Formats: sequence, structure tokens, C-alpha cells
Amino acid sequence: MTATVIELDQDGPAAILRIEGDVTSASEADLMAAYGLAAANGATAVILDFSKLEYMNSGGIGLLVTLLVRARRGGGRLVATGLSEHYRQIFSLTRLDEAIEIYDDDAAAMVAATA
Amino acid sequence: MTELTRPIRRLLGRHTDTPEPDAVPESPAVTEPARLTDDPSIAVDIAESDPLLAYLQSASGPIEIARLELDSPAVRAMREAGVALVVPLVSQGELIGTLNLGPRLSEQEYSTDDRRLLTTLAAQAAPAIRVAQLVREQAHEAAERERLEQEMRVATLIQQQFLPRELPKLPQWQIAAYYGPARAVGGDFYDFIDMPDGRIGIAVGDVTDKGVPAALVMARTHSILRAEASRSNSPGEILRRANALLEPEMPARMFVTCLFAILEPETGRIVIANAGHNLPYIRTDDGVVELRATGMPLGLMPGIRYEETEGVIAPASSVLLYSDGLVEAHDPNQQMYGFPRLRQEMAVDDAGSELLDRLLETLHRFTGPDWEQEDDITLVTLRRASGVADEPASDGQAGPALITAFSIPGEEGNERLAMDRVAAAAGGLGLPPARLERLKTAVSEATMNAIEYGSQGNPDVPVDIAVETTADAIVVRITDRALSGAVPTDAEAPDIELKLAGAQKPRGWGLFLIKNMVDSMDVTSDGSTQTVTLTMAREERTNG
Repeated sequence: MTATVIELDQDGPAAILRIEGDVTSASEADLMAAYGLAAANGATAVILDFSKLEYMNSGGIGLLVTLLVRARRGGGRLVATGLSEHYRQIFSLTRLDEAIEIYDDDAAAMVAATA
Repeated sequence: MTELTRPIRRLLGRHTDTPEPDAVPESPAVTEPARLTDDPSIAVDIAESDPLLAYLQSASGPIEIARLELDSPAVRAMREAGVALVVPLVSQGELIGTLNLGPRLSEQEYSTDDRRLLTTLAAQAAPAIRVAQLVREQAHEAAERERLEQEMRVATLIQQQFLPRELPKLPQWQIAAYYGPARAVGGDFYDFIDMPDGRIGIAVGDVTDKGVPAALVMARTHSILRAEASRSNSPGEILRRANALLEPEMPARMFVTCLFAILEPETGRIVIANAGHNLPYIRTDDGVVELRATGMPLGLMPGIRYEETEGVIAPASSVLLYSDGLVEAHDPNQQMYGFPRLRQEMAVDDAGSELLDRLLETLHRFTGPDWEQEDDITLVTLRRASGVADEPASDGQAGPALITAFSIPGEEGNERLAMDRVAAAAGGLGLPPARLERLKTAVSEATMNAIEYGSQGNPDVPVDIAVETTADAIVVRITDRALSGAVPTDAEAPDIELKLAGAQKPRGWGLFLIKNMVDSMDVTSDGSTQTVTLTMAREERTNG
């Protein structure tokens, strides 16, 4: 199993979480901590950059739902970029794409997130 | 590449295609000692043995070629090309190229300032060029990897074409076969051939070498053996003719080891001839015996004769034919599986359970879960019923060809291992990449369920996975030990809105994903095990 590596890149109200490796239920602590840090720094929109995602399973999808619930409670937005065709399809099947806006790259997501 | 340049590349370790300025002698040009370009007036090759190389390695700045007293072909070539000054490009103590300059346009000598400037320029340019070289090398390596993977897919595809689609249906015989390709795909094959009078020809072989060449030789051997088996009922004669046909056309340094057996199902009489292959083991009441016959591998030399040996498989006995991949497998401590271990396994009386399954289980226990299979593994087992009425006779299961079967410890996280191994096995079977991705997700999710419910997360309770191929689909069977009973398959469909509203738990996507990823999912249970069967068509199925 490849560990999740999450790199936080924040400038103003939008933060980018660059996710590398696997997103499974085992990623919960790391993902929540990174999100918490971004929120504490005043981010109102969080961009999840999946361009280095290797594998995400149903546990990882459950985790995104948990993160969505948390973001909405705090009045924040979740945005996703860098999803491969396969995971785009999964976002569409699970209708996660209705709750998380999807953009092709960080630049487009950043424009949308700070609009 | 010429023989001349190869040693230099090895010496310098890299090459670059740094673009060169206009080809006028006066203009400076970065040249790579190892490179041949269209422009011999600027780029000069320096052979590995050329003394100029050593000189450049230790030089501290620009070198005037006219004053250089070296018996060097490269220096002569440079002079002819109009090179006046050579500035070595050194990055981290390593010569990576040279900057070759013609005479100054003003026709004056290069001044001390010029030289200082060039030395600074070289010092700054060298690391940048080195980076460019590394980037290019990486791109080159990536392309090479892609090419090798493509070749592997082609080899696997050829290989699959020649594996039997179904096993012979013989009353009173239980026949099982396994073919597990290594990542690099060796040249293993096996075949069952219907012969006159109800006899069955069985071939197990191994082509030396790997990849597409081995797959092609395997395909050729396969068809020759089939053709010869229709003309003769003697294994020795079949191998003799096969050798005579293969020998003239065999590529250099390749040959085929092959065991050919003919079985009389009624009597259990088996006659074998052997072309340098592993000898079959027969388990009898008195222990395990090896059926010996000798002969040269096919394709090595003309005019070989093959001796024949016969044996009898008594009721309740088994015979095993196998390739090197099993006995030459290594455990994490580099211990080899070896013949004695196989013989010992073979000796265990396993009435009721399948010999082949047990051999594979033992092998995977021996190698451990992180094993990267070194060579193709082929196993063929034939067990003769005891003759007692309640003996499970062969059901002659017709149908899909087994590509690989393996077990993983029932511990969370191993679903990735299962996913990767299925992907490796299914990767060459003509599944488009998008469909392979979907199959991977389904396998991973179904294995996660098997681990969670079937094994309750206990690494000592394995999950068994088999990959089969049919004419139009890939079929993956995932069998768990059903410790928690059946995996629930009728759970409430996950709904993102209910989940976001807190009316459903965030989790619970697994089954939903599986059903949506593959063309069909079936669950069967026999009380002590549960099997989830995933079917993925090679092509998108059109509705209606």
C-alpha cells in the first residue's frame, strides 16, 4: 500500500491539498489534519488536487463524504482537480460530482474557488 | 549506434542532443564527445581510448587545440574541423561534453578575458546541460519501458491463444491445469490432444527466452506437436519428428523443453517421452515415483531420438507434469523451492482435495505475499478415481481457461496486492485500459469485502482469487472463508444526499461500485466459502 502524502499550499482564502498515493479509509487522519490546518488558516475553499492519486477505494470515497459534511458545516467549499478519467467516472456514478466541483487543473479551480 | 560510439557512451554515461548553432566554424557549438551528428565540422567523436578524454577530464579551462601535443585522432579531427579552442564541460567532476570553438572572428588570439569568460560560461552551462541530459535519458527510459510493456502484452496475447480453452472430459479422471505467467512472460505451454481410441496426448513445455520471440516459437511448437500427434501414437516418435521440423528454423540460442505423454484413461497406462523437460511425478500407494525418460531439448540439433518410458496411474493415484517456474521459485530469503519439497508435497495423501490447488497454496505460503513471480509456472495434474462409487469423478468442467490463481492473507490492505496481480494477469488479455481500470476497482472492492467479512481481517484466513478468460470476457472469482457468513449483497443503495444529510453513513460504497464497474457480479455460497464472480466483457456490451 502506498501511503497518502498530502501537501498543503495556501495563499489567501483558497488552499490546495495535493494528494499523492492512495486515498483509503487509512488516509482519514492525514486528510482531516490537512483540511483542519487549511480551515484554521482561514481557507473557505479547499482544492483537492488528485493529479498524483494512485488509487482510491470505497473507503476513500466515504472519507470524501465525511470531509464534505465537515466542509459544509463550516461553510466551506470543496473543489477537485487532476482526476483521471476513471475516477471522474466514479465521481459521476456516486454523484460526488454534484457536491464537489471538478476542474481540469489547479489554475481553473483556483479561479472558480476565489470567484 | 556504431561500435565506436558505444564504449564512449558507456564511459561518459550519457548523451545529449543539445541543439547546435549554425554550422559555421567560427560559431561556438556545444558538442557531445559521444555523438554522431549531421555536422562533422563541429561535432567530433572522441573514442574511449583517445588520450584527449583523459586530458579533458583533468583540464582546468579552455585548451588550445593547435598547441596540444597529443597523439589523438580526436585532436586531429578537431584541427581539420577548424576547432581552435576546446572548453571541457564538467559537472560534478564528470566530463559531460565539450564546447568547441573556431578561431575568433577578429582573427586575433583568444585573450585571457575571453578564456575567463568561457571558463565561467562552461561552469554555469555544464550543470544545466547535465540536467537536460538527465531529462532526455528519463524520457528515453520511459519510452523503453513502454515498449517493453507493449511487447509483454503482445507476448501474453499470443500465449493465451494457444492455451486449451477447456480440459478433457474423462470419466473417472480429475484433470486440472494451471498456467501462471510471470511479469516478463516466459514461453511455457501445455496442451491436451484427443487421440485415436480415446487416448489423450498431454504436452507440457517451456521455450527458453521470454517475450514475443519465445511466444512465437511456443506457437509453432504447439502446432507441430498437434500435427504430429495426429500421425503417430508414439510419444518418442512425435518428439523426434517435432525436433526434425523445429531444428532448422529455431532462432539462435533458443530451444524448447517438452514432455509428451499419452494416457490410456481406461487402464491408467501412461507412456512418456522427454525432450529435456522436468520428469513427471506419480503418486502411488508406495510413495512418489519419478517417471524417467531422457532426450535432448527440441531444436538444438538434428537427428535426435527419444526414449519412451511407461508407467501406470493406479486408481486413487495422481500424476503431475510441471515446468521449472514452480521448483525454481524463491522465498524472501532466496531459498529455492526445489525438487525435494515438491516431491514431499506430492507424497501427502490429499484424497478429496485437489492436488493442484494444494501445490499452489504451498507455493504461495513458501514465497510469501510480496513475491514477484520469476518465471512462468505450468502445472498439470491428473487424478484417477479410486473406483469407489462415491468418488467424485471428473466433472470435465468445460469452459474458461485459467490464467492465474493465487491466495492472499485476509488482512486489510492486501486488496491492493490482489488488484495488482489481477491487473498483471488481465493486462495482456485484450481489455481496453478504461475497462481494466474498472475491473481493478471491482476486484479491489470485492477483495476488501472478502477480507472484512470472509476473513474478519485475520491474515491466517486466506482469500483465493482466480482469473479466467473466456472467448469474450475476463472472469475473476474471489473466494473467502465466510467467517461472518455471507457478505451482505442487498444493502441499501448509497445516496449522496442522504449521506450528506446524515441519514446514511458516509461509508458503504463498495458493493455499489462493484456492481457499476463490471458487466456482472454473481455470488455463490456453499456454507464454508463464498465466491463472488466478476465478469468483464472485453468490449463494451451494447444494450438491447
